[in-house]
Amino acid sequence: MRTKSVLLVIALVAILAVLAGCAQAPAATQAPAQQKPAATQAPAQEKPTEAPKAEATEAPKAEEKEPVTLTVWSWRTEDEDAYNEIFDVYEKEHPGVTVEFVPFVATDYNNILATGLTGEGGPDVVQLRAYGGLQPLVEAGQLEPLDGKVSTLSNFSPDLLKGATGVKDGHIYGVPFGIQTLAVYYNKGIFDKLGLSEPTTWDEFINVLETLKKNDYIPIAAPAKDTWMLPIIHDTVGAPRYGGPEFEQKVLAGETDFTDPNYVASIQLVKDLQPYMPENVVGVSYQDSRTLFLTERAGMFIGGSFEVGYWRNEGPDLDLGIFRVPPAPDSVIDHPLTPGWMDGSYGVNAKSDAKEEAIKLVEWMGTKEFGQMFTEKIKQLSPVPGTEPKDPLLAQFSKFYEETPASYMLLVDFRYGDPSGTTLLGNGIQKMLLGDMTAEEVAQSLQEGVSQWFQPKK
Amino acid sequence: MTATTANRAGKKKDKHAKGVGSGAPPWTVIALFILPAFLLYTLFMVWPLFQSLYFSFFEFKGLARGGFVGLRNFHELFTRYPLNEQLPRAFLHNVYFFIGTMLIQNTLGLLFARLLYASRFGKRFFQIVYTTPYLISALVVGYLWSLMLNPLFGPVNQVLKAIGLGALARPWLGDPATALPVIILVNAWQWVGFPMLLFSAGLAGIGDDLREAARIDGATSLKLFRYIELPLLLPVIGIVTVLTFIGNFNAFGIVWAMGGVNGEPAGATDVLGLVFYRTAFRGGVDAFGLASALAVLMFIFIFGVSMIMLGRFRRWEEDLT
Repeated sequence: MRTKSVLLVIALVAILAVLAGCAQAPAATQAPAQQKPAATQAPAQEKPTEAPKAEATEAPKAEEKEPVTLTVWSWRTEDEDAYNEIFDVYEKEHPGVTVEFVPFVATDYNNILATGLTGEGGPDVVQLRAYGGLQPLVEAGQLEPLDGKVSTLSNFSPDLLKGATGVKDGHIYGVPFGIQTLAVYYNKGIFDKLGLSEPTTWDEFINVLETLKKNDYIPIAAPAKDTWMLPIIHDTVGAPRYGGPEFEQKVLAGETDFTDPNYVASIQLVKDLQPYMPENVVGVSYQDSRTLFLTERAGMFIGGSFEVGYWRNEGPDLDLGIFRVPPAPDSVIDHPLTPGWMDGSYGVNAKSDAKEEAIKLVEWMGTKEFGQMFTEKIKQLSPVPGTEPKDPLLAQFSKFYEETPASYMLLVDFRYGDPSGTTLLGNGIQKMLLGDMTAEEVAQSLQEGVSQWFQPKK
Repeated sequence: MTATTANRAGKKKDKHAKGVGSGAPPWTVIALFILPAFLLYTLFMVWPLFQSLYFSFFEFKGLARGGFVGLRNFHELFTRYPLNEQLPRAFLHNVYFFIGTMLIQNTLGLLFARLLYASRFGKRFFQIVYTTPYLISALVVGYLWSLMLNPLFGPVNQVLKAIGLGALARPWLGDPATALPVIILVNAWQWVGFPMLLFSAGLAGIGDDLREAARIDGATSLKLFRYIELPLLLPVIGIVTVLTFIGNFNAFGIVWAMGGVNGEPAGATDVLGLVFYRTAFRGGVDAFGLASALAVLMFIFIFGVSMIMLGRFRRWEEDLT
């Protein structure tokens, strides 16, 4: 009898446990790291992330200016000091306005923001993900359309503004704050020691790889455990091979798709480079690969402008340069390309109590004054024309992007549905590196996945 | 069989009669005591459960609920590429996880419990040592072992190389063939103390008279274990099995810490919990309905199988007594 009652209790516990599991799941309690390239580095921060107090702020009337506090939400905990300095300038120029910068851990940000925008006490100004990442908020009607209200939007090219546009209604919801571009980092010290220089042809590129390998360096510190890096590597190496912007236009118009032989060949390039990546590359994480490059065990690292801050902080003594991968044989485009994308924007909460002041603030964020401070203090590229990064590496990225721009198309055009293009290609390339898939099959999988939601514009 | 049932029914009646006779508090008082817990439980457990069932029939736009779509979300789960491939694969991994944990963690737990039961020295010490890891968060355990098993910097491979077993060194978490088994082992490392404690309690509950009688009849230690202790541990084995099942099918933290959100490498460690997470929080605009549908199916499956298991073990137990 005793065992029976024990079992009864256990049955209850079991039910409880299951209920708990199910109940918690939709409530977004767990939060794995979201390592989007757009999120740049997102190290865990000790920064307390208490919800900001909503200071009841009346919309200022024309005659008497009541003090206003604007709350800005962001996923960049590491930029808090820099933003505070930037907003101090704004506060000085706009007496009566206080700007409070409240960053959250990047990995939790999307969920916190989606919840914060639903009720009272949310932020006034919000940092927004770009392209597909913006759409859930737009479709939920949580953001204020800015076109026609913010004059500085005219500073940005239509291409850039695409990242801040609602794909269904065509309205613009944010003022772009950053762009990211891709290239190959190399260790100048190692290159000098081995008598190597920046390659300008594919043969020279292979020669650099071979020389590094012969001298016991890992030529390219590539991570294949973190799948989000793989489409980045693919686009940095293969954009000219498949045709970059030309191919992008054709795919969007429905004239071709990802099974195009040129695109397949561009995927194959990643496989061709595998001998120059670390051994068992699928076991190497993003952090491992950065460590390999920092500790000078690897000569090159394929990455983006979002890593400049990390190298400067972690390896201030490293002498780094960047170059563009020369076009591979049979490339559709005969010059190197610099894939890039709009990193994110600042928008206004549709339920903000101080909408007018919030719009003024984001308008200011489209000025050169803000852009220059942004690129200097935060060490990222500003999309505002005429801003000049002080860091030589960033300046180089900026120059490359001006000379040979291209879209990182899987992020820019193929994150509007699920499964996203970057997820599909990342998983596919990983399997290719394991020998489980061919380049054709990877392309097929990408095409099959996106075609479930992607409609070419005929 | 019928005799036992009648017997049990009789006892139940007895107990009840005794309760009323001894002046049990009126039901209003009982209700008052139950109410706070009941309210909290309903609010945070039952309500979200029904809510996710409700959500699973709707389309979503971000957090805003859209129109009713019937069973479309359930249909999508099994037809949308690559979800239609990931879901069965993840389910299979959960099954492996459960079988592996039963074979390794729970068998070792039983072994440790038996050895500790027999030992005179250090019993308390070892009990504490074996149960310490499960005081640590699964995420911390996962990261710790990820560092140890790191193919480039991790000590595990370095030690293997240093003692001449370099041929065995491999990217433990980077090779699809070893990744899931390694996670099962790490999970067992963390949790082995739990079945051990339950089995220890079970063993302690077996009367010494039974053991003595068996000894007098000439049973060896092995026979004693096989024919006396093991059958009497059946209720505990049932509990451990069901709890393992529930834990393994809800696995998330340890797999996420060691395999990442996609169950790297190449989905070799993907489990239902990760598929759910990705669907809900990486799924784009219309994600919550689909994720709710998956949560509902997981609940029905886990609940159903747990119930069946409990029934099965109870019948075995009754057959034995």
